[in-house]
Amino acid sequence: MSDAPTSPNTEAQTRVRFSPRRVWTLAMATVTQLVRMKILAFLVVFCLLAVGAGFAFSVINPEQQLNLLKSVTLGSLQIFSIVIGVVSTALLLPKDMEDRTLYTILSKPVPRFDYLLGKLIGVLLLIGGGLIVMDAVLSLILWLRQSMLFEDAVARMQMEKLDSPEAVAQVREIVARQGLTWNLHWAVWAIFLKATVVTTVALLLSSIASSTLFTIVITFCITIIGHGEALIREFFFQPNLSGMASRAATLVLAVICPDLAQFDIVDSVVSGEIVPWGAVYDMTGIAALYVTVYLFVTHLLFVEKEL
Amino acid sequence: MADTPAVSVNHLTKVFKGTLVKGAFRAVQDLSLEVKAGEVYGLIGPNGSGKSTTMKVILGLLKPTQGSTSIFGVPSTEVASRHSVGFLPENPYFYKHLTGRETLHFYGSLCGMRGERLKARTDEMLAITGLEDAATRRVGGYSKGMLQRLGLAQALIHEPRLLVLDEPTAGVDPAGSRKIRDLIIEFRARGITVLVTSHLLEQMQEVCDRVGIMAHGRMVREGRLEDLIAVENQTEMVLENASPALLTKINALIQAEGGDTKLVRSGRPRTTLERLFIEATNESKKP
Repeated sequence: MSDAPTSPNTEAQTRVRFSPRRVWTLAMATVTQLVRMKILAFLVVFCLLAVGAGFAFSVINPEQQLNLLKSVTLGSLQIFSIVIGVVSTALLLPKDMEDRTLYTILSKPVPRFDYLLGKLIGVLLLIGGGLIVMDAVLSLILWLRQSMLFEDAVARMQMEKLDSPEAVAQVREIVARQGLTWNLHWAVWAIFLKATVVTTVALLLSSIASSTLFTIVITFCITIIGHGEALIREFFFQPNLSGMASRAATLVLAVICPDLAQFDIVDSVVSGEIVPWGAVYDMTGIAALYVTVYLFVTHLLFVEKEL
Repeated sequence: MADTPAVSVNHLTKVFKGTLVKGAFRAVQDLSLEVKAGEVYGLIGPNGSGKSTTMKVILGLLKPTQGSTSIFGVPSTEVASRHSVGFLPENPYFYKHLTGRETLHFYGSLCGMRGERLKARTDEMLAITGLEDAATRRVGGYSKGMLQRLGLAQALIHEPRLLVLDEPTAGVDPAGSRKIRDLIIEFRARGITVLVTSHLLEQMQEVCDRVGIMAHGRMVREGRLEDLIAVENQTEMVLENASPALLTKINALIQAEGGDTKLVRSGRPRTTLERLFIEATNESKKP
Protein backbone atom coordinates (compact mmCIF):
# COMPACT_ATOMS: atom_id res chain seq x y z
CA MET A 1 0.00 0.00 0.00
CA SER A 2 1.28 3.46 -0.80
CA ASP A 3 2.50 5.22 2.31
CA ALA A 4 1.23 8.73 2.05
CA PRO A 5 -2.29 9.16 0.76
CA THR A 6 -1.96 11.44 -2.19
CA SER A 7 -4.38 12.84 -4.68
CA PRO A 8 -4.06 11.48 -8.20
CA ASN A 9 -4.35 14.83 -9.86
CA THR A 10 -4.24 18.04 -7.91
CA GLU A 11 -5.21 20.18 -10.87
CA ALA A 12 -8.23 18.03 -11.58
CA GLN A 13 -9.40 18.53 -7.99
CA THR A 14 -10.32 22.10 -8.62
CA ARG A 15 -13.03 21.22 -11.10
CA VAL A 16 -14.52 18.07 -12.57
CA ARG A 17 -15.46 18.44 -16.20
CA PHE A 18 -17.40 16.23 -18.58
CA SER A 19 -15.16 13.33 -19.55
CA PRO A 20 -15.81 11.16 -22.64
CA ARG A 21 -13.46 8.54 -21.17
CA ARG A 22 -15.51 8.33 -17.99
CA VAL A 23 -18.74 8.12 -20.00
CA TRP A 24 -17.20 5.34 -22.09
CA THR A 25 -16.20 3.45 -18.92
CA LEU A 26 -19.79 3.63 -17.69
CA ALA A 27 -21.16 2.67 -21.12
CA MET A 28 -18.87 -0.35 -21.42
CA ALA A 29 -19.77 -1.53 -17.92
CA THR A 30 -23.44 -1.29 -18.91
CA VAL A 31 -22.83 -3.21 -22.13
CA THR A 32 -20.86 -5.90 -20.28
CA GLN A 33 -23.62 -6.21 -17.72
CA LEU A 34 -26.35 -6.52 -20.36
CA VAL A 35 -24.35 -8.89 -22.58
CA ARG A 36 -23.61 -11.15 -19.61
CA MET A 37 -27.33 -11.06 -18.78
CA LYS A 38 -27.67 -12.72 -22.23
CA ILE A 39 -29.96 -9.94 -23.48
CA LEU A 40 -28.15 -9.63 -26.82
CA ALA A 41 -28.18 -13.39 -27.34
CA PHE A 42 -31.92 -13.38 -26.70
CA LEU A 43 -32.39 -10.63 -29.28
CA VAL A 44 -30.34 -12.47 -31.91
CA VAL A 45 -32.05 -15.84 -31.33
CA PHE A 46 -35.49 -14.28 -31.51
CA CYS A 47 -34.71 -12.41 -34.72
CA LEU A 48 -33.24 -15.53 -36.33
CA LEU A 49 -36.50 -17.26 -35.50
CA ALA A 50 -38.31 -14.34 -37.11
CA VAL A 51 -36.18 -14.71 -40.25
CA GLY A 52 -37.09 -18.41 -40.30
CA ALA A 53 -40.75 -17.50 -39.93
CA GLY A 54 -40.41 -15.34 -43.04
CA PHE A 55 -39.97 -18.54 -45.05
CA ALA A 56 -42.72 -20.46 -43.33
CA PHE A 57 -45.71 -19.01 -45.17
CA SER A 58 -46.89 -20.15 -48.59
CA VAL A 59 -46.42 -17.47 -51.24
CA ILE A 60 -47.56 -16.86 -54.76
CA ASN A 61 -44.56 -15.14 -56.33
CA PRO A 62 -40.91 -14.10 -55.61
CA GLU A 63 -41.96 -10.52 -54.89
CA GLN A 64 -44.34 -11.67 -52.17
CA GLN A 65 -41.69 -14.01 -50.72
CA LEU A 66 -39.14 -11.20 -50.35
CA ASN A 67 -41.78 -8.79 -49.03
CA LEU A 68 -42.80 -11.25 -46.36
CA LEU A 69 -39.22 -11.94 -45.32
CA LYS A 70 -38.47 -8.22 -44.92
CA SER A 71 -41.78 -7.45 -43.27
CA VAL A 72 -41.54 -10.14 -40.58
CA THR A 73 -37.87 -9.53 -39.82
CA LEU A 74 -37.96 -5.74 -39.73
CA GLY A 75 -41.16 -5.84 -37.68
CA SER A 76 -39.50 -8.14 -35.15
CA LEU A 77 -36.41 -5.94 -34.99
CA GLN A 78 -38.58 -2.90 -34.39
CA ILE A 79 -40.50 -4.48 -31.52
CA PHE A 80 -37.49 -6.02 -29.85
CA SER A 81 -35.18 -3.04 -30.10
CA ILE A 82 -37.84 -0.97 -28.32
CA VAL A 83 -38.58 -3.67 -25.74
CA ILE A 84 -34.90 -4.14 -24.92
CA GLY A 85 -34.27 -0.40 -24.79
CA VAL A 86 -37.18 0.24 -22.43
CA VAL A 87 -36.74 -2.77 -20.17
CA SER A 88 -32.94 -2.43 -19.88
CA THR A 89 -33.12 1.26 -19.08
CA ALA A 90 -36.01 0.86 -16.67
CA LEU A 91 -34.12 -1.88 -14.83
CA LEU A 92 -30.61 -0.44 -14.69
CA LEU A 93 -31.09 2.86 -12.90
CA PRO A 94 -33.45 1.73 -10.10
CA LYS A 95 -31.31 -1.39 -9.60
CA ASP A 96 -28.20 0.74 -9.16
CA MET A 97 -30.06 2.69 -6.48
CA GLU A 98 -31.51 -0.37 -4.80
CA ASP A 99 -28.12 -2.12 -4.64
CA ARG A 100 -26.39 1.11 -3.53
CA THR A 101 -24.04 0.74 -6.52
CA LEU A 102 -25.07 4.27 -7.45
CA TYR A 103 -23.67 5.54 -4.12
CA THR A 104 -20.26 4.04 -4.81
CA ILE A 105 -20.24 5.49 -8.34
CA LEU A 106 -21.45 9.00 -7.48
CA SER A 107 -19.20 9.20 -4.41
CA LYS A 108 -16.31 9.08 -6.91
CA PRO A 109 -15.58 12.24 -8.92
CA VAL A 110 -18.35 11.41 -11.40
CA PRO A 111 -20.80 14.15 -12.46
CA ARG A 112 -24.37 12.89 -12.60
CA PHE A 113 -24.67 13.81 -16.28
CA ASP A 114 -21.72 11.53 -17.12
CA TYR A 115 -23.47 8.70 -15.30
CA LEU A 116 -26.75 9.23 -17.18
CA LEU A 117 -25.06 9.54 -20.55
CA GLY A 118 -22.91 6.46 -19.88
CA LYS A 119 -25.98 4.38 -19.07
CA LEU A 120 -27.84 5.62 -22.16
CA ILE A 121 -24.89 5.03 -24.49
CA GLY A 122 -24.40 1.57 -23.00
CA VAL A 123 -27.97 0.54 -23.77
CA LEU A 124 -27.78 2.11 -27.25
CA LEU A 125 -24.51 0.32 -27.99
CA LEU A 126 -26.20 -2.95 -27.16
CA ILE A 127 -29.21 -2.19 -29.36
CA GLY A 128 -26.99 -0.84 -32.14
CA GLY A 129 -24.68 -3.85 -31.97
CA GLY A 130 -27.62 -6.23 -32.11
CA LEU A 131 -29.16 -4.34 -35.06
CA ILE A 132 -25.85 -4.35 -36.99
CA VAL A 133 -25.57 -8.11 -36.55
CA MET A 134 -29.17 -8.60 -37.61
CA ASP A 135 -28.78 -6.23 -40.55
CA ALA A 136 -25.82 -8.28 -41.76
CA VAL A 137 -27.67 -11.58 -41.31
CA LEU A 138 -30.81 -10.27 -42.99
CA SER A 139 -28.80 -8.80 -45.88
CA LEU A 140 -27.05 -12.11 -46.48
CA ILE A 141 -30.27 -14.11 -46.32
CA LEU A 142 -32.10 -11.62 -48.54
CA TRP A 143 -29.30 -11.67 -51.12
CA LEU A 144 -29.21 -15.49 -51.17
CA ARG A 145 -32.97 -15.67 -51.34
CA GLN A 146 -33.30 -13.15 -54.16
CA SER A 147 -30.62 -15.01 -56.17
CA MET A 148 -32.43 -18.30 -55.66
CA LEU A 149 -35.82 -16.83 -56.49
CA PHE A 150 -34.48 -15.17 -59.63
CA GLU A 151 -32.89 -18.41 -60.83
CA ASP A 152 -36.10 -20.34 -60.06
CA ALA A 153 -38.19 -17.78 -61.91
CA VAL A 154 -35.87 -17.83 -64.94
CA ALA A 155 -35.83 -21.66 -64.96
CA ARG A 156 -39.63 -21.70 -64.84
CA MET A 157 -39.80 -19.19 -67.70
CA GLN A 158 -37.38 -21.29 -69.74
CA MET A 159 -39.56 -24.37 -69.20
CA GLU A 160 -42.61 -22.44 -70.28
CA LYS A 161 -40.63 -20.89 -73.19
CA LEU A 162 -41.37 -17.41 -71.87
CA ASP A 163 -37.76 -16.39 -71.27
CA SER A 164 -37.54 -13.46 -73.62
CA PRO A 165 -34.78 -10.95 -72.67
CA GLU A 166 -37.44 -8.35 -71.82
CA ALA A 167 -39.33 -10.79 -69.53
CA VAL A 168 -36.11 -11.88 -67.79
CA ALA A 169 -35.09 -8.23 -67.32
CA GLN A 170 -38.50 -7.46 -65.87
CA VAL A 171 -38.22 -10.33 -63.35
CA ARG A 172 -34.67 -9.23 -62.50
CA GLU A 173 -35.90 -5.68 -61.87
CA ILE A 174 -38.78 -6.82 -59.63
CA VAL A 175 -36.60 -9.16 -57.61
CA ALA A 176 -33.83 -6.56 -57.29
CA ARG A 177 -36.26 -3.87 -56.09
CA GLN A 178 -37.74 -6.19 -53.46
CA GLY A 179 -34.39 -7.73 -52.54
CA LEU A 180 -31.25 -6.33 -50.98
CA THR A 181 -30.96 -2.55 -51.43
CA TRP A 182 -29.65 0.37 -49.38
CA ASN A 183 -33.24 0.91 -48.32
CA LEU A 184 -32.99 -2.11 -46.04
CA HIS A 185 -30.13 -0.46 -44.12
CA TRP A 186 -32.07 2.80 -43.88
CA ALA A 187 -34.99 0.86 -42.43
CA VAL A 188 -32.69 -0.64 -39.79
CA TRP A 189 -31.27 2.86 -39.13
CA ALA A 190 -34.82 4.19 -38.66
CA ILE A 191 -35.54 1.33 -36.24
CA PHE A 192 -32.41 2.29 -34.29
CA LEU A 193 -33.40 5.96 -34.19
CA LYS A 194 -36.87 5.13 -32.94
CA ALA A 195 -35.46 2.81 -30.25
CA THR A 196 -33.01 5.57 -29.27
CA VAL A 197 -35.78 8.11 -28.74
CA VAL A 198 -37.93 5.64 -26.79
CA THR A 199 -34.93 4.58 -24.65
CA THR A 200 -34.24 8.22 -23.79
CA VAL A 201 -37.87 8.63 -22.72
CA ALA A 202 -37.46 5.53 -20.52
CA LEU A 203 -34.31 7.05 -19.00
CA LEU A 204 -36.18 10.25 -18.21
CA LEU A 205 -39.00 8.35 -16.54
CA SER A 206 -36.69 6.04 -14.60
CA SER A 207 -34.87 9.07 -13.18
CA ILE A 208 -38.07 10.22 -11.45
CA ALA A 209 -40.03 6.98 -10.98
CA SER A 210 -39.71 4.84 -7.91
CA SER A 211 -40.68 1.58 -9.62
CA THR A 212 -39.45 -0.25 -12.68
CA LEU A 213 -42.95 -1.35 -13.60
CA PHE A 214 -44.18 2.26 -13.67
CA THR A 215 -41.35 3.25 -16.02
CA ILE A 216 -42.01 0.33 -18.37
CA VAL A 217 -45.78 0.80 -18.50
CA ILE A 218 -45.68 4.58 -18.97
CA THR A 219 -42.91 4.37 -21.60
CA PHE A 220 -44.93 1.86 -23.61
CA CYS A 221 -48.00 4.10 -23.30
CA ILE A 222 -45.96 7.06 -24.58
CA THR A 223 -44.61 4.87 -27.40
CA ILE A 224 -48.12 3.93 -28.47
CA ILE A 225 -49.33 7.53 -28.22
CA GLY A 226 -46.19 8.69 -30.06
CA HIS A 227 -47.23 6.69 -33.11
CA GLY A 228 -50.47 8.68 -33.25
CA GLU A 229 -48.93 12.11 -32.64
CA ALA A 230 -50.25 13.40 -35.98
CA LEU A 231 -53.79 12.51 -34.91
CA ILE A 232 -53.31 14.31 -31.59
CA ARG A 233 -52.08 17.46 -33.35
CA GLU A 234 -54.97 17.29 -35.79
CA PHE A 235 -57.38 16.88 -32.88
CA PHE A 236 -55.85 19.86 -31.04
CA PHE A 237 -56.21 22.18 -34.01
CA GLN A 238 -59.87 21.30 -34.58
CA PRO A 239 -61.79 24.54 -34.24
CA ASN A 240 -64.82 22.91 -32.58
CA LEU A 241 -62.83 21.10 -29.86
CA SER A 242 -64.96 21.46 -26.74
CA GLY A 243 -63.61 22.34 -23.32
CA MET A 244 -60.37 23.75 -22.03
CA ALA A 245 -59.56 20.50 -20.21
CA SER A 246 -59.64 18.46 -23.44
CA ARG A 247 -57.54 21.07 -25.20
CA ALA A 248 -55.02 21.19 -22.34
CA ALA A 249 -54.77 17.39 -22.14
CA THR A 250 -54.23 17.17 -25.89
CA LEU A 251 -51.58 19.88 -25.75
CA VAL A 252 -49.73 18.12 -22.90
CA LEU A 253 -49.74 14.84 -24.81
CA ALA A 254 -48.56 16.55 -27.98
CA VAL A 255 -45.69 18.24 -26.14
CA ILE A 256 -44.58 15.29 -24.00
CA CYS A 257 -44.80 12.46 -26.52
CA PRO A 258 -42.29 12.15 -29.35
CA ASP A 259 -43.65 11.88 -32.88
CA LEU A 260 -42.53 8.32 -33.55
CA ALA A 261 -44.37 8.15 -36.89
CA GLN A 262 -41.46 10.22 -38.25
CA PHE A 263 -39.36 7.03 -38.14
CA ASP A 264 -41.94 4.75 -39.77
CA ILE A 265 -40.29 3.92 -43.08
CA VAL A 266 -40.34 0.15 -42.66
CA ASP A 267 -43.62 -0.27 -44.58
CA SER A 268 -42.26 1.80 -47.48
CA VAL A 269 -39.06 -0.26 -47.55
CA VAL A 270 -41.01 -3.51 -47.46
CA SER A 271 -43.12 -2.43 -50.42
CA GLY A 272 -39.93 -1.57 -52.35
CA GLU A 273 -40.19 2.22 -52.31
CA ILE A 274 -36.96 4.23 -52.50
CA VAL A 275 -36.05 6.15 -49.33
CA PRO A 276 -34.55 9.51 -50.32
CA TRP A 277 -31.40 10.81 -48.57
CA GLY A 278 -33.36 13.86 -47.42
CA ALA A 279 -35.74 11.66 -45.44
CA VAL A 280 -32.79 9.95 -43.75
CA TYR A 281 -31.27 13.33 -42.78
CA ASP A 282 -34.62 14.53 -41.46
CA MET A 283 -35.15 11.40 -39.37
CA THR A 284 -31.66 11.61 -37.92
CA GLY A 285 -32.03 15.30 -37.11
CA ILE A 286 -35.42 14.81 -35.46
CA ALA A 287 -34.07 11.93 -33.37
CA ALA A 288 -31.03 14.01 -32.31
CA LEU A 289 -33.33 16.84 -31.28
CA TYR A 290 -35.59 14.56 -29.24
CA VAL A 291 -32.62 12.89 -27.53
CA THR A 292 -31.03 16.26 -26.68
CA VAL A 293 -34.23 17.65 -25.19
CA TYR A 294 -35.16 14.52 -23.23
CA LEU A 295 -31.60 14.09 -21.96
CA PHE A 296 -31.46 17.72 -20.86
CA VAL A 297 -34.71 17.36 -18.92
CA THR A 298 -33.50 14.06 -17.44
CA HIS A 299 -30.32 15.78 -16.27
CA LEU A 300 -32.27 18.63 -14.66
CA LEU A 301 -34.38 16.10 -12.75
CA PHE A 302 -31.56 13.70 -11.84
CA VAL A 303 -29.17 16.38 -10.62
CA GLU A 304 -31.76 17.40 -8.02
CA LYS A 305 -32.63 13.84 -7.07
CA GLU A 306 -32.07 12.90 -3.42
CA LEU A 307 -30.30 9.55 -3.33
CA MET B 1 -3.61 23.38 4.31
CA ALA B 2 -2.40 21.04 7.05
CA ASP B 3 -4.96 22.53 9.45
CA THR B 4 -7.86 22.08 7.02
CA PRO B 5 -10.20 19.54 8.59
CA ALA B 6 -10.83 16.38 6.60
CA VAL B 7 -14.56 16.79 7.16
CA SER B 8 -16.37 19.86 8.29
CA VAL B 9 -20.11 19.88 9.05
CA ASN B 10 -21.54 23.28 9.95
CA HIS B 11 -25.03 23.61 11.39
CA LEU B 12 -26.38 20.92 9.12
CA THR B 13 -30.13 20.42 9.00
CA LYS B 14 -31.74 17.94 6.65
CA VAL B 15 -35.49 17.75 6.21
CA PHE B 16 -37.02 15.19 3.86
CA LYS B 17 -40.10 16.51 2.12
CA GLY B 18 -43.31 14.86 3.12
CA THR B 19 -46.12 13.46 1.03
CA LEU B 20 -49.83 14.15 1.22
CA VAL B 21 -50.15 11.32 3.74
CA LYS B 22 -46.93 11.76 5.73
CA GLY B 23 -45.49 15.04 6.89
CA ALA B 24 -41.93 16.24 6.40
CA PHE B 25 -39.26 14.35 8.32
CA ARG B 26 -36.39 16.13 10.02
CA ALA B 27 -33.50 13.64 9.89
CA VAL B 28 -30.69 15.91 11.06
CA GLN B 29 -31.02 19.03 13.20
CA ASP B 30 -28.35 21.73 13.47
CA LEU B 31 -25.44 19.28 13.49
CA SER B 32 -21.86 20.51 13.61
CA LEU B 33 -18.77 18.36 13.72
CA GLU B 34 -15.21 18.34 12.51
CA VAL B 35 -13.01 15.38 11.63
CA LYS B 36 -9.32 16.25 11.80
CA ALA B 37 -6.95 14.99 9.14
CA GLY B 38 -5.39 11.66 10.09
CA GLU B 39 -7.82 10.64 12.84
CA VAL B 40 -10.42 7.88 13.04
CA TYR B 41 -13.77 9.43 13.94
CA GLY B 42 -16.67 7.22 14.94
CA LEU B 43 -20.23 8.41 14.46
CA ILE B 44 -22.51 6.28 16.57
CA GLY B 45 -26.16 6.29 17.42
CA PRO B 46 -29.31 4.19 17.28
CA ASN B 47 -31.10 3.42 14.01
CA GLY B 48 -32.76 6.52 12.59
CA SER B 49 -30.51 8.90 14.50
CA GLY B 50 -29.32 10.58 11.28
CA LYS B 51 -25.85 9.04 10.87
CA SER B 52 -26.32 7.76 7.31
CA THR B 53 -28.10 10.97 6.25
CA THR B 54 -25.15 12.97 7.56
CA MET B 55 -22.74 10.76 5.63
CA LYS B 56 -24.77 11.12 2.44
CA VAL B 57 -24.76 14.90 2.74
CA ILE B 58 -20.99 14.85 3.31
CA LEU B 59 -20.63 12.76 0.13
CA GLY B 60 -22.90 15.03 -1.91
CA LEU B 61 -25.55 12.35 -2.40
CA LEU B 62 -28.08 14.49 -0.53
CA LYS B 63 -28.38 18.26 -0.42
CA PRO B 64 -28.52 19.99 2.96
CA THR B 65 -31.71 21.85 3.82
CA GLN B 66 -29.62 24.25 5.88
CA GLY B 67 -25.95 24.47 6.75
CA SER B 68 -23.00 23.14 4.82
CA THR B 69 -20.46 20.35 4.69
CA SER B 70 -17.00 20.17 3.14
CA ILE B 71 -14.23 17.67 2.52
CA PHE B 72 -10.71 19.04 2.94
CA GLY B 73 -12.17 22.50 2.46
CA VAL B 74 -14.03 21.73 -0.77
CA PRO B 75 -17.83 22.02 -0.43
CA SER B 76 -19.56 18.63 -0.71
CA THR B 77 -21.91 20.06 -3.33
CA GLU B 78 -18.94 20.20 -5.74
CA VAL B 79 -18.05 17.00 -7.55
CA ALA B 80 -14.37 17.88 -7.07
CA SER B 81 -14.69 17.13 -3.33
CA ARG B 82 -15.01 13.45 -4.25
CA HIS B 83 -11.38 13.27 -5.45
CA SER B 84 -10.28 12.97 -1.84
CA VAL B 85 -12.86 10.53 -0.54
CA GLY B 86 -13.58 6.82 -0.76
CA PHE B 87 -16.96 5.51 0.38
CA LEU B 88 -18.09 2.09 1.54
CA PRO B 89 -21.90 1.97 1.93
CA GLU B 90 -23.67 -0.40 4.26
CA ASN B 91 -24.12 -3.86 2.69
CA PRO B 92 -22.70 -2.87 -0.70
CA TYR B 93 -23.55 -4.68 -3.91
CA PHE B 94 -21.65 -4.34 -7.13
CA TYR B 95 -22.35 -5.30 -10.74
CA LYS B 96 -22.64 -9.03 -10.20
CA HIS B 97 -21.69 -9.89 -13.76
CA LEU B 98 -18.26 -8.28 -13.37
CA THR B 99 -15.34 -10.08 -11.72
CA GLY B 100 -13.60 -8.62 -8.67
CA ARG B 101 -10.73 -7.35 -10.81
CA GLU B 102 -13.09 -5.85 -13.42
CA THR B 103 -14.98 -4.10 -10.63
CA LEU B 104 -11.83 -2.43 -9.33
CA HIS B 105 -10.80 -1.51 -12.90
CA PHE B 106 -14.23 0.06 -13.37
CA TYR B 107 -14.00 2.22 -10.25
CA GLY B 108 -10.37 3.13 -10.95
CA SER B 109 -11.27 4.21 -14.49
CA LEU B 110 -14.07 6.40 -13.13
CA CYS B 111 -11.42 8.20 -11.09
CA GLY B 112 -9.31 8.83 -14.19
CA MET B 113 -6.78 6.06 -13.56
CA ARG B 114 -5.57 3.90 -16.44
CA GLY B 115 -2.81 1.74 -17.84
CA GLU B 116 -0.08 0.29 -15.65
CA ARG B 117 -0.95 2.52 -12.71
CA LEU B 118 -4.52 1.19 -12.61
CA LYS B 119 -3.37 -2.40 -12.99
CA ALA B 120 -0.77 -2.08 -10.24
CA ARG B 121 -3.20 -0.35 -7.89
CA THR B 122 -5.87 -3.01 -8.57
CA ASP B 123 -3.40 -5.79 -7.73
CA GLU B 124 -2.34 -3.93 -4.60
CA MET B 125 -5.93 -3.50 -3.43
CA LEU B 126 -6.75 -7.15 -4.11
CA ALA B 127 -3.73 -8.14 -2.04
CA ILE B 128 -4.52 -5.80 0.86
CA THR B 129 -8.11 -7.02 1.10
CA GLY B 130 -7.19 -10.68 0.62
CA LEU B 131 -9.19 -11.11 -2.58
CA GLU B 132 -6.38 -12.19 -4.91
CA ASP B 133 -7.72 -15.74 -5.23
CA ALA B 134 -11.21 -14.47 -6.02
CA ALA B 135 -10.10 -11.75 -8.45
CA THR B 136 -11.33 -13.58 -11.55
CA ARG B 137 -14.58 -14.77 -10.02
CA ARG B 138 -17.80 -12.91 -10.72
CA VAL B 139 -18.95 -10.72 -7.86
CA GLY B 140 -22.36 -12.46 -7.90
CA GLY B 141 -20.69 -15.45 -6.22
CA TYR B 142 -18.97 -13.47 -3.45
CA SER B 143 -19.88 -13.93 0.22
CA LYS B 144 -20.99 -10.96 2.31
CA GLY B 145 -17.55 -10.58 3.86
CA MET B 146 -15.89 -10.66 0.44
CA LEU B 147 -18.30 -8.02 -0.86
CA GLN B 148 -17.46 -5.86 2.11
CA ARG B 149 -13.72 -6.23 1.43
CA LEU B 150 -14.27 -5.52 -2.27
CA GLY B 151 -16.17 -2.43 -1.14
CA LEU B 152 -13.15 -1.34 0.87
CA ALA B 153 -10.88 -1.99 -2.11
CA GLN B 154 -13.01 0.15 -4.44
CA ALA B 155 -13.17 2.89 -1.83
CA LEU B 156 -9.36 2.95 -1.66
CA ILE B 157 -8.60 2.45 -5.36
CA HIS B 158 -7.87 6.12 -6.10
CA GLU B 159 -5.76 6.66 -2.97
CA PRO B 160 -8.21 8.93 -1.15
CA ARG B 161 -7.18 10.96 1.89
CA LEU B 162 -10.53 10.29 3.57
CA LEU B 163 -12.45 7.02 3.95
CA VAL B 164 -16.13 7.08 4.82
CA LEU B 165 -17.32 3.71 6.08
CA ASP B 166 -21.00 3.10 6.81
CA GLU B 167 -21.39 0.04 9.02
CA PRO B 168 -18.29 -1.65 7.53
CA THR B 169 -18.72 -4.83 9.59
CA ALA B 170 -22.48 -5.29 9.14
CA GLY B 171 -23.25 -8.93 8.41
CA VAL B 172 -19.59 -9.99 8.49
CA ASP B 173 -18.41 -12.87 10.70
CA PRO B 174 -16.09 -12.06 13.65
CA ALA B 175 -12.92 -13.03 11.73
CA GLY B 176 -13.87 -10.84 8.76
CA SER B 177 -14.90 -8.12 11.15
CA ARG B 178 -11.52 -8.29 12.87
CA LYS B 179 -9.79 -8.08 9.50
CA ILE B 180 -11.69 -4.90 8.65
CA ARG B 181 -10.87 -3.46 12.08
CA ASP B 182 -7.18 -4.20 11.51
CA LEU B 183 -7.36 -2.51 8.10
CA ILE B 184 -8.85 0.63 9.68
CA ILE B 185 -5.99 0.73 12.17
CA GLU B 186 -3.56 0.29 9.26
CA PHE B 187 -5.19 3.15 7.34
CA ARG B 188 -4.76 5.44 10.32
CA ALA B 189 -1.10 4.46 10.56
CA ARG B 190 -0.69 5.50 6.94
CA GLY B 191 -2.29 8.87 7.52
CA ILE B 192 -5.71 8.18 5.99
CA THR B 193 -8.58 9.88 7.80
CA VAL B 194 -11.49 7.55 8.56
CA LEU B 195 -15.08 8.49 9.32
CA VAL B 196 -16.92 5.36 10.41
CA THR B 197 -20.33 4.38 11.72
CA SER B 198 -21.02 1.07 13.41
CA HIS B 199 -23.34 -0.57 15.87
CA LEU B 200 -20.49 -2.67 17.23
CA LEU B 201 -19.47 -0.30 19.98
CA GLU B 202 -16.66 -2.50 21.26
CA GLN B 203 -14.98 -2.35 17.85
CA MET B 204 -15.50 1.39 17.64
CA GLN B 205 -13.85 1.69 21.01
CA GLU B 206 -10.83 -0.19 19.67
CA VAL B 207 -10.28 1.91 16.56
CA CYS B 208 -11.66 5.42 17.11
CA ASP B 209 -9.69 8.43 18.29
CA ARG B 210 -12.83 10.51 18.72
CA VAL B 211 -16.51 9.68 18.66
CA GLY B 212 -19.74 11.58 18.23
CA ILE B 213 -22.96 10.14 19.59
CA MET B 214 -26.10 11.09 17.67
CA ALA B 215 -29.72 10.73 18.73
CA HIS B 216 -32.83 12.11 17.06
CA GLY B 217 -30.75 13.92 14.46
CA ARG B 218 -28.64 15.82 16.99
CA MET B 219 -25.15 15.39 18.40
CA VAL B 220 -25.65 14.53 22.06
CA ARG B 221 -22.03 13.81 23.03
CA GLU B 222 -18.71 14.30 21.30
CA GLY B 223 -15.06 14.09 22.22
CA ARG B 224 -11.91 12.02 22.58
CA LEU B 225 -12.82 8.45 23.31
CA GLU B 226 -10.51 8.23 26.34
CA ASP B 227 -12.12 11.29 27.89
CA LEU B 228 -15.65 10.14 27.22
CA ILE B 229 -15.34 6.65 28.66
CA ALA B 230 -12.97 7.31 31.55
CA VAL B 231 -14.57 7.04 35.02
CA GLU B 232 -13.13 10.11 36.65
CA ASN B 233 -12.87 8.90 40.25
CA GLN B 234 -11.65 5.34 39.65
CA THR B 235 -8.20 3.84 38.92
CA GLU B 236 -7.55 0.48 37.29
CA MET B 237 -4.50 -1.74 37.87
CA VAL B 238 -4.07 -5.08 36.10
CA LEU B 239 -1.43 -7.30 37.68
CA GLU B 240 0.15 -10.40 36.22
CA ASN B 241 1.36 -13.34 38.34
CA ALA B 242 0.49 -11.56 41.59
CA SER B 243 0.79 -13.82 44.64
CA PRO B 244 -2.10 -14.02 47.19
CA ALA B 245 0.25 -12.45 49.73
CA LEU B 246 0.81 -9.39 47.52
CA LEU B 247 -2.93 -9.02 46.99
CA THR B 248 -3.50 -9.17 50.76
CA LYS B 249 -0.87 -6.43 51.23
CA ILE B 250 -2.52 -4.20 48.65
CA ASN B 251 -5.90 -4.71 50.31
CA ALA B 252 -4.39 -3.82 53.66
CA LEU B 253 -2.85 -0.64 52.22
CA ILE B 254 -6.22 0.43 50.80
CA GLN B 255 -7.94 -0.12 54.14
CA ALA B 256 -5.15 1.73 55.93
CA GLU B 257 -5.61 4.73 53.59
CA GLY B 258 -9.16 5.25 54.93
CA GLY B 259 -11.36 8.13 53.80
CA ASP B 260 -13.28 7.63 50.56
CA THR B 261 -10.74 5.21 49.14
CA LYS B 262 -12.17 1.71 48.72
CA LEU B 263 -11.66 -1.35 46.57
CA VAL B 264 -14.60 -1.50 44.18
CA ARG B 265 -13.83 -4.76 42.45
CA SER B 266 -11.07 -7.36 42.12
CA GLY B 267 -10.88 -10.63 40.28
CA ARG B 268 -9.69 -12.08 37.02
CA PRO B 269 -10.17 -9.93 33.94
CA ARG B 270 -12.22 -11.58 31.25
CA THR B 271 -11.45 -11.84 27.59
CA THR B 272 -14.13 -10.80 25.11
CA LEU B 273 -16.32 -13.31 23.31
CA GLU B 274 -14.87 -11.96 20.06
CA ARG B 275 -11.29 -12.70 21.11
CA LEU B 276 -12.32 -16.16 22.33
CA PHE B 277 -14.01 -16.82 18.94
CA ILE B 278 -10.93 -15.71 16.97
CA GLU B 279 -8.60 -17.82 19.13
CA ALA B 280 -10.84 -20.89 18.98
CA THR B 281 -11.36 -20.73 15.22
CA ASN B 282 -7.65 -20.11 14.61
CA GLU B 283 -6.76 -23.12 16.81
CA SER B 284 -9.06 -25.36 14.77
CA LYS B 285 -7.12 -24.40 11.63
CA LYS B 286 -3.84 -25.67 13.13
CA PRO B 287 -2.91 -29.25 12.12
